Amino acid sequence: MMTTRLRWPVLGLMVAASAVAIASPSAPEELRGDRAEAAVGRAGGQQPTSPTQPTPPQRTAVEVTLTGEGGAQTRLAVPDLIALSNDQETQDAARVIGEVLWNDLNYEREFYLIPRDTYKTIPSAASMDTVPFDRWRELGADGVVSGIVQRAASGVRVELRLYSVRARQSVFGREYTGSVANPRLYAHTFSDELHLSQRNLRGVARTKLAFSSDRNREAVIATVEKREVKEVYIADYDGANPRRITINRTLNITPAWSPDGRSIAYTSYRSGLPDVLISNIFAGTMENPTKGVGQNFLPVFSPDGSRIAFMSSRDGNPEIYVVNRDGSNLVRLTNNAATESTPTWSPSGTQLAFTSDRSGTPQVYTVNADGSGLRRLTSESYADRATWSPAPYNEIAFAARTGPGFDIKIYNIASGETRQITFGEGTNESPAWSPNGRHLAFMSTRAGRSQIFTVDRDGRNLRQITRDGNNWTPHWSQ
Amino acid sequence: MSQPDANTGRKRARRVSTSLSEINVIPLVDVMLVLLIIFMVAAPMLQKGVEVNLPVARRADKLTNTQPLYVTIPTSYRQDRRVYIDDDGIPIEVLAERMRQALDGRSDKQVFLRGDGAVMLQEMMDVFGRLKEAGVEKIGIVAQERRAGQ
Repeated sequence: MMTTRLRWPVLGLMVAASAVAIASPSAPEELRGDRAEAAVGRAGGQQPTSPTQPTPPQRTAVEVTLTGEGGAQTRLAVPDLIALSNDQETQDAARVIGEVLWNDLNYEREFYLIPRDTYKTIPSAASMDTVPFDRWRELGADGVVSGIVQRAASGVRVELRLYSVRARQSVFGREYTGSVANPRLYAHTFSDELHLSQRNLRGVARTKLAFSSDRNREAVIATVEKREVKEVYIADYDGANPRRITINRTLNITPAWSPDGRSIAYTSYRSGLPDVLISNIFAGTMENPTKGVGQNFLPVFSPDGSRIAFMSSRDGNPEIYVVNRDGSNLVRLTNNAATESTPTWSPSGTQLAFTSDRSGTPQVYTVNADGSGLRRLTSESYADRATWSPAPYNEIAFAARTGPGFDIKIYNIASGETRQITFGEGTNESPAWSPNGRHLAFMSTRAGRSQIFTVDRDGRNLRQITRDGNNWTPHWSQ
Repeated sequence: MSQPDANTGRKRARRVSTSLSEINVIPLVDVMLVLLIIFMVAAPMLQKGVEVNLPVARRADKLTNTQPLYVTIPTSYRQDRRVYIDDDGIPIEVLAERMRQALDGRSDKQVFLRGDGAVMLQEMMDVFGRLKEAGVEKIGIVAQERRAGQ
């Protein structure tokens, strides 16, 4: 619990650092749908219950579901939180936390979230202890998240509990105190902790996206080389709280998070020529691991954060290099007359995938981190921007040309099969995996301009993340 | 769309080609939304749910659905505005959401309505509206088949 809590230690400083998790109001147990089979097998990745262990009575009760025959998921309702103070700030926070939590829980598709517009027939509870369970049961809810927001000395106190409607008791609860400035963070944190406790799933609600954008539309002030101004931005996984990272009025593209979420590496034309820069976004410092040698592009951190793979034309031809973060131990991985670009690390850090046009067209190849074991993966007309999924999915997503534009395809390394998840709506490029491997962020022109979208790995649950200006090359924090 | 963009020419060309190759589905969707198929079925011998006096019909189809979904409107609906999904009494306001949950994953989108013979047409219409909102496409009205000599 503590490690996931510390994933955003500084961004969430005002809230997370002072957030205190108290013991759950009752012993945490798993909430499930009213499935007959739920009493036999526990869901997703939980340790199987030993047959000798006595199981609590409510788990052995096999009840035939009345409504959920077609593969019923656990159904949750997330009404607005109860504001126990009368000021506007607390009441806004109560509403925002409810809305954001509903979206966060819906995002992973582990639960069926009952649409919020159906809650209005149910009277809102006056306190945590008076949840109208009968009314929620009539709506078909298996679980209901109830919570309060209260003024506290240092900001607000937020208490959230997941109640089992059938058992009429709390099965999971958390309490946070902190600033009222960003109430969304309480919802994100509770969503991640609830997914972890109920489904043993690492949620992405507290992760962030980095991307490059021209939303500021700054006047181009310099020379012909600086034809465009793009700056690096970060935003929450749902697009909220956008923040600008680079301010140098040149081209800053292809951002990549460090695994600890404290630094972003990117290609910058700040000095006139493309070079790899690392911005330590909380410390406010900058690093240049390539020491300004040659032209360098497309940096990406190794999974342990100690090394950076990038593309450079320092030896006359674009090739893939790996260098330690401090600039030492430069290794050239490829040696070929063709162009090599867009490196990506395997989750273990022992291999890299990259794009090469040595066969005549750009294709995705993999190579060991020491330069041996080259292997070609794709046979598309044009494949680019490979990105290696995190465990447990052993897949590589890439953009493949499918007509006038590109579409996102996913190559399964074990089976060698390729599937497609976008189908010709605009052009779809630059895929990037979420840290749990269940979602992809990508750039698409389906809504007119270039915007960032996220989609699940099966192609469902498409969401538009950015709406302002043009936005490119998303990268998901770990 | 009209912003200065190096790709404008390319985009325009693509848009033309896609609009020609796609079927315009909006008229089809309109028709689907208006359409609600209503038919009569004979009550099965073994009945689930609360007791109601089913309307009597001269002819009705045999119930062939193996997993029928029943909604019951008793005469008490007039007082308490509650209908029943099998034995589960719910207020009419949540019927649409409960039906959406029940239909999730089912391919037939079919509901069998066990209305008391004394239920008024206005009350039936309330329920039809909620069912249609939930995506129900076919409603079977369950009736008692009048046998010869009755």
